[in-house]
Amino acid sequence: MLCNSRYRLLRIVAKFSTDASNTEFRVLDLRKGSSENANQGRGRFQKRTEGGPQLLPPRETKMPIDQDWPSVWPGPRTFHPASVPLPVRQGYPAKDLAAPPGKYANAELMKIPNFLHLTPAAVQRHCQAIKRFCTPWPSELTNEDACDKYFPVQTTTCDYLHSSPSIRDPLARIVTLQVKLSSLPLEGRARDKFLRLVQERYNPETDMVTIVVDRCPTRKQNLHYSHFLLTVLYHESMKEESWESEKSPLDNELFEWQTSASRAAIDGLAVKQKLDPDYIQLYSEALTNLMNKGEDQETLADYKESALQLLGHSRN
Amino acid sequence: MLSVLNCLKSRITTPQRLIHTSAVQCRKQAGRYRPSIRGDKPLTYEMANGPHQIAHRKSWNSWNTANLEGGLRPAETVVEDLFIRKFMIGTWHSLFTSEVIIKRQHNLIRIAGIVKRSISARKMYFLIGYTEEMLSLWLQCPVKLELQTVNDAKDVIYKHI
Repeated sequence: MLCNSRYRLLRIVAKFSTDASNTEFRVLDLRKGSSENANQGRGRFQKRTEGGPQLLPPRETKMPIDQDWPSVWPGPRTFHPASVPLPVRQGYPAKDLAAPPGKYANAELMKIPNFLHLTPAAVQRHCQAIKRFCTPWPSELTNEDACDKYFPVQTTTCDYLHSSPSIRDPLARIVTLQVKLSSLPLEGRARDKFLRLVQERYNPETDMVTIVVDRCPTRKQNLHYSHFLLTVLYHESMKEESWESEKSPLDNELFEWQTSASRAAIDGLAVKQKLDPDYIQLYSEALTNLMNKGEDQETLADYKESALQLLGHSRN
Repeated sequence: MLSVLNCLKSRITTPQRLIHTSAVQCRKQAGRYRPSIRGDKPLTYEMANGPHQIAHRKSWNSWNTANLEGGLRPAETVVEDLFIRKFMIGTWHSLFTSEVIIKRQHNLIRIAGIVKRSISARKMYFLIGYTEEMLSLWLQCPVKLELQTVNDAKDVIYKHI
């Protein structure tokens, strides 16, 4: 007991001496926390005071208005209200005419992706940083035609980005190779054979041959295979097999005036009577149109007109 | 008596089609909260808006591309998210005042949420490091914890019903 009271006395003296330097009028507080700090018991577990632990004010209140924002928010990050000096609100108000929930303790703002790291200043800085890795555009490639001339083959592949730990996507292996048919030195028979080989892969409107390769498991293999295909197609088209000479005019996909029976008939007629070469030309064009475009009112009328003119029975 | 007998007889002999018809009960209960008698049940914004309000008034708690068309690993993603939520609730015991928000970007997993400041900052820093380290080890990808702290659970209360 004696020991205990002495200890208490020592504590009082110690408190007395520490307070002496700060306050002018010292108060001897025998029962510590009896009047002022009523809620602070002497027990080991003190009840947490209202307001929680002493915290610094949010960072946003101390930010200067001309601060460097890209260094405050350098990368993608979940929204944090104390770091963003904007009066942002999100959510549906609880009552009518009430303001939407503010930015503090707002989980909705933390859910949505933000673009606070993609401010114009940050994008410009990023572009400046990667500029030294860029090479100048080739001066020869001034326009689209030059690009087509020097780089006739166009290869398209797709990269897929997923929010998953795997960077593999089976669709990334597909390679699309496009080449303009006019850029290949193919004439007449070779061109015809090439078109027969590529079938529906040729688009006559754009003059493009499109080869899609997806049979190999990796993109590199598919790329090599597409190059191989193009090479083989070209060389096969240039090759003339012995059986190709057996092709008859009926096998032609388009009517050709020069080799047609009509031309032979007109030539035979021209021996017997005089025919105007201009009218022969018109007649050949009308007949070619009729055979290649199909019979309709216009082509039939043209054909009739040119035939009558050729034979000298024109109504004009 | 006779009429009752006749009636019974006709019911037994004539073929009948017995269809029980009543109004369809379109009761939906999941994710909705019943009002209390005193009207003092606290709800957060997430609780106050039902599941039908997702993408209208509130957004998803899991953000990933697995369930989009052509997305990869949908099942694995769901199981991993479940595991992360269980782990977070157990590790940050009675500290989370919001749902655990899991956002995936490429191979990075961001875990966000609002926690109470009822433990000391040192413990909280330890828990952040511990969670990031353990989850990275198990999920084999970088995990980031991006938390917001509130002083009291009352701070996230949206309304009382």
